[in-house]
Amino acid sequence: MSIDFFWRIPTHGEPSSHRSRTPYRGDWLQGQDHIRNPGLGGGGRDGYTYIDYIAEVAHAAEISGFHGGLLPSFPMTDEPWAISSFLARETKTFRFMIAFQPGFLNPVTAARMTASLQRATGGRALFNVITGGGGPVQLWWGDSFSHDDRYARTTEFLDVLRGVWQGKPFNYQGRFYQVEDAALPFPLNEEAFPEIYFSGSSDAALISASKHADYYLSWLEPLSQLRDKFERVKARTDQLGRKIKCAVRVDIVARATEEEAWREVRRGFENLDAQQLERYKQQQARIGDSVGGQRQSTFRPKTISDYRDLIIEPNIWSGFNLLRGGQGQGIVGSYEQVAQRLDDLVALGADAFILASTSHLEEAYRVGEEVLPLVRGRQKLHAETPGLLSAVR
Amino acid sequence: MTIEFLWQLPAASDARLADATRYKRGERLPGEPRPYVDEVTDPRGSRFNYFDYLHQIARAAELAGFDGIQVQHDVQGDESWIIAGYLARSTRRLRLLAEFEAARGSAVYAAKNAVSYQRFTGNRFAWQLSSGGTEQERRQQGDFLAEDKLLQRIDEFLITAKGVITQSPFSFKGEFFEVLDGGFQGPLANNAVPRIYLSGNTPTAYELSARQADVHLFDGAAVVDAQKALAELQILLQQQNRNLSAGIRLDVLARETEEEAVFDARRFWQQSGFGKGGDEQPLAPNLWSLPVAYSGARASLIGSYEQVAQRLIEYIEAGFSSFLLAASPHLEEAYRIGEYVLPLIHKHLAEHPSLAA
Repeated sequence: MSIDFFWRIPTHGEPSSHRSRTPYRGDWLQGQDHIRNPGLGGGGRDGYTYIDYIAEVAHAAEISGFHGGLLPSFPMTDEPWAISSFLARETKTFRFMIAFQPGFLNPVTAARMTASLQRATGGRALFNVITGGGGPVQLWWGDSFSHDDRYARTTEFLDVLRGVWQGKPFNYQGRFYQVEDAALPFPLNEEAFPEIYFSGSSDAALISASKHADYYLSWLEPLSQLRDKFERVKARTDQLGRKIKCAVRVDIVARATEEEAWREVRRGFENLDAQQLERYKQQQARIGDSVGGQRQSTFRPKTISDYRDLIIEPNIWSGFNLLRGGQGQGIVGSYEQVAQRLDDLVALGADAFILASTSHLEEAYRVGEEVLPLVRGRQKLHAETPGLLSAVR
Repeated sequence: MTIEFLWQLPAASDARLADATRYKRGERLPGEPRPYVDEVTDPRGSRFNYFDYLHQIARAAELAGFDGIQVQHDVQGDESWIIAGYLARSTRRLRLLAEFEAARGSAVYAAKNAVSYQRFTGNRFAWQLSSGGTEQERRQQGDFLAEDKLLQRIDEFLITAKGVITQSPFSFKGEFFEVLDGGFQGPLANNAVPRIYLSGNTPTAYELSARQADVHLFDGAAVVDAQKALAELQILLQQQNRNLSAGIRLDVLARETEEEAVFDARRFWQQSGFGKGGDEQPLAPNLWSLPVAYSGARASLIGSYEQVAQRLIEYIEAGFSSFLLAASPHLEEAYRIGEYVLPLIHKHLAEHPSLAA
């Protein structure tokens, strides 16, 4: 059984480290309308835009040993389909994991888009199927379906996508989608069907994932809970006679020593202004109908006055969403410790990882060079010879 | 009025001869035999496919002096947005016009994707919304909408997409699309709406264009007929107090002499089955009702370089400013038209500045 490492692409700007929230890279920082410093080369526009920085990160990830990267999609981000097609020609091995909500595309169109992207990249497209967090944001996207209807729609979307992919006339009568004699044209139908990483923590999500997902993808949660979650989805999938793998999306801070790693987190925490911390404490109220979001927020302590209040297990810090948007929990430690934590996750059922660390360019190299070589996977080398690796380094 | 020449990219197939529908240049299709005898080695392996060829056409169009490319919507071929994105970073100034249907999905999602295209290309992305094929073809695309609702859906698609690109908060609830407190923030706000190209020759289509289009693309027709159609649209534009550019969609087959051009056109018709048997006659000087590429055009200009240039100038004089042209094979013909026909038109425009003012 293989273990695949993916990286994450920052689709809405990027601070230069975890110490700061200021997105120096990209044009999300007000007054900075392109990547180059104003004033350089006469100060005019130089023709570069944020896609040029994204290309740098994608190249760093493929050079550093990652399979590719997750391209997140939120209201404030650039869009994964655009990024993938733009970078198809100038990357070699980088696989584009496109996050999208199936409800936003006609499944027959999506099949043709996907097959075209496979053709444009030599089979490097895959999906992170997300089904939306509900609340006002869902209406912002123009989607008024309820939580469980959205998952039912996701299932139907994937039914149709698989159906038309066979290249033979396919008929479908669903609640959300109908097609009559639909088929992906030759030779688009010769392409590999994209691997599906599926996100969602609710029961409705597990039902949909067990039918269609190759990988069930979860944010990092306390290890015992994560084990339960993986076991639940595997049990459900077994009932259908299918196999599913599991994957973990996790932010990390890895340094040569644990002390240096925590220093990054401490500096990031101390650089927050009081308002940001206050907003964070009150965030619980506005999570929409996302069960994953609710699960993350239950791990949050009542009082937070020091970054250490957010350490919930050795090397696990739950304040990452204070430093940037997204998930709360992540791994902090020395290269050996981070690798050990990843091995722990492998031991409880993870087959793939989507890692992230700020800045994604420099950290792709660091993690690729320092952490991935220490991951032992299922070889259990750590268990048999504890401390050996740290001793020789 | 600024004159633009767009070159069409064939989304499904292209080759030297009229059996182009069977081939994708740059790509040996699964099951297709090796083109050479066994002793002759083939260094290509499977390193290239049709995308590499499309890339060449786009570069050819840019190098040869076209202002943009139109990526055809063809459900038998690769998808137009993916092709446009794939070509974006290899082209510097070409307008990237992607043709698609409003059935493709959420209008907000399309708008948000378009914002990324605009940000990454310096606003070179453009939209051509078409109504799709026959009812049966649309059902194959998962689209069961009645024929008489197609334009309303395009209308709502554009209201929603333009709304969220240009305003925040923006709300709309129509029959097909809705959004509540939408609109983009930060660097995703204040980006240019893709230039909108629409077509159709019914009063309802003209009404829609009068409200929503930046360019209305008319079907190829004799100048006098095209002018009549344009006059109809102009009445509606005056009522709306709006303006737009008139475009026309033509195939072109230009050779050094008219005789060579007609000879090649007849060969294409014979091979493709478009012609009736060699007795076709032109509709107007150099204008034939048969296409000379698989482009969807309803008419072709066929003649010497000078004749084709002169006919195109006549459309400019009649008020047309956007030309969607195609000829097969699209790579070689992009160079040919760019080298022999466009310069004659640009020279004429330079000598008659009022035409391009």
